[in-house]
Parts: sequence; C-alpha cells; structure tokens
Amino acid sequence: MLRHTNESPESPDVLTKLHSQIVKDQDNDSTETGSFPVIRRKPKRVSLNAKSTRARLYSSVLVTILCALLGFGYVIQLNNTKSTYETMSEDELTRLISETSSQVQKLEQRKSELTSQLNSLKDTADKNAKAAEIAKQNAESNGILSGRLPASGEGVVIRISQGQKQDIDASILFTLLEELRNSGAEVIEINDVRVITSTYISDTDDGLDCDGTILKAPFVIKAIGDSDNLQNAVNLAGGVGSRLEVKYGATVSVKASQDVEITATRSAPQYTYAHVIEQ
Amino acid sequence: MAAVLGLIIGVVIGVFVQPDIPVELQPYLPIMVVAALDALLGAARAYFQRSFSDKVFVISFFSNVITATLLVFLGNQLGVGSQLQTAVIVVLGIRIFTNVSSIRRFIFKG
Repeated sequence: MLRHTNESPESPDVLTKLHSQIVKDQDNDSTETGSFPVIRRKPKRVSLNAKSTRARLYSSVLVTILCALLGFGYVIQLNNTKSTYETMSEDELTRLISETSSQVQKLEQRKSELTSQLNSLKDTADKNAKAAEIAKQNAESNGILSGRLPASGEGVVIRISQGQKQDIDASILFTLLEELRNSGAEVIEINDVRVITSTYISDTDDGLDCDGTILKAPFVIKAIGDSDNLQNAVNLAGGVGSRLEVKYGATVSVKASQDVEITATRSAPQYTYAHVIEQ
Repeated sequence: MAAVLGLIIGVVIGVFVQPDIPVELQPYLPIMVVAALDALLGAARAYFQRSFSDKVFVISFFSNVITATLLVFLGNQLGVGSQLQTAVIVVLGIRIFTNVSSIRRFIFKG
C-alpha cells in the first residue's frame, strides 16, 4: 500500500524530497502489516539444567529397574514351567495321573520280569558253584587216591632194617602193605615211592624193585590213617612185625605221629583202554 | 538404552539367582510377565511418539501387572481361572500387537 497523502506539491527542495522518499520506502518495506503471521523464535531449550538432568537420570533408572523386573520374572517363569502343575486344568491333571499310573504298571511288570530273570540266573550260578565245589572235592580225593597230590596227617612211620637172617623180600613187604591197607591206611609211601593201586613190588638181583625204583634197606614206610589201628596192624602178636623180627631178623620200629608228611607224588596215568561211562 | 540394559540385568540375575517363587504366586507369574511386556511396548510406542513420560510408564507397568493378576485371582476364586487367564492373555496379546504395529510404522515411515 503506497501512501501518497503525505506528499506536498509545494516543496521543491531536493533534500526534502529525498528525505521524504526514504521515509516512504521505509514505510513500504515494513513487514508489520498484520497480514503475515509473526513467528516468534523458539526459546532456547535449557537442557543442561541440573533439574532436568536429574529427572532424566531418574526416569532411566526407573525404566531400567522395571525392565529388570520383567526380565527377571521371565527367566524365573522359564525355569519354572516344567514343574507347575498348579496352572494345569483338571482334565490335564487327570490325564497325567492315568498316564503316570499306566507307566508305573508297565515298570512294575518289567521289574518283576527282571527279578525272575535274576532269580533264575542266581539259581544257575548256585548250581554252578555247587558243581564246582563237588568237582574240587572229587579232584582232591582222586588226587590223594591216585597219588597226584602230596598229603599229610595223622599216621605212623615204620622203619625196617635189613634182615640179619634173611633178606627182606617182596612178599613180606607186600603183606605189610596189605595189613596197613586193611587197617585203613589212606596214603602209603615206601622210601619216597608213593604206593598207589597199581604199585608192585618184585624181587630182583639188585634188591627190591618197587614201581621201577630199587628199594634199599632200611625201609622207611609212612602211612597216613588212624595211628592206633596202624600200629596194631604191625605190632599184632604173630603179625607182620613179629614175623619180620623172628623170621628175617630185622628190627622194626613203629612210631606214631600226628603229622606224617608224604610228599612223593605220581603223575596221573594215561588210560588207554578205559573210558568213563557218561551218565 | 536403559530398557535394554535393564532387561539384560534382569535376565542375568534370574539365571544366576534362580529363586524359589512362592507357590501362591506361581500361577500368576506368566500373566504378570505378559502384562509387563505390554506396558514396556506401550512405553516404547510413547517414546517414538515423543510423548513418553516416566510417571505414566511406571503407573501403567504396575497397574497392568496388578490388574492382570487380580483378574486371574478373581477368576480362580470364581472357578473360571483358566478361562479368565486366557481372556487376559488374549487382550494383552492384542495390545502388544497394536503397540508393535504402531512402533513399526514409526520406524519405517521415519
């Protein structure tokens, strides 16, 4: 809007003209016309104020704490979900119970099966152990009988010197052995030769041959058995002992002992013809 | 930043401490967790809308948790606990989805 009203036509002064022109220009350039909205400058934010900083710290601490609570609860619930029967419905609980009880039944059945199996195995083991024991006993008695094992126990030691009147021959020794056997001698040894079922004594030019070994006087005969019976068998009036003394002129000493040791052994014979009958 | 830090701290504490929560509280804990999650997401939305207020956040957090718990407790008293629990979970789930969608709009539209 130009204003022409202030202009006076009767002032020809150039300076005055200029002045009035400048004033008019200024008026024209003015922005305060009311047609433009006046935008005020935003007041600068006072952000680094102490109060505001504290408030912000406070709020972030609160947020942190609440989020920590949330995470904490979440993790606890995660760890806890497996054992919460509280939140299950009745149907679920009933189903769970029936499942569990059927499982228990199955397990009980399995247990009884396994128990019976265990019992049968134990029975078998017992039988095996018994059989092993019997076999061991058999082996021991057989070993003693067949001369494979050394033996010790109550018995007598008989010493017979060479006869003065006559050499001691096989028959009298054989009689002595028979007498000892009849009196219950379990193990007999003559001069380190174990006497077994197949033992023989024979007269040779070199002396007495007992199972391939030459026997020399004095003869030492060890026998394990009841010492009284064995002593009686030798010392019987008119028995082997007196015959040895009278007929052969030998000295016979019979000594009972609680610990006669017979260490001579024989290897097991190889049976060529005899076979065990399997029962 | 503070929220992520707080979550991490809480998870670590939960893993290492592993406390025994009381039996009466056990059925309510999952509801509480979901309600708190909803409050957190609401706060995140408010943050993106530049209208975040710590007071509002704290109040909404606790009111969410307490309201959900009380609702489920009431349902348990009335014998409709599981149904009401489902209802609370559904409502909170819807709210969570709404919050997440508006957050997503803020993130992707700038």
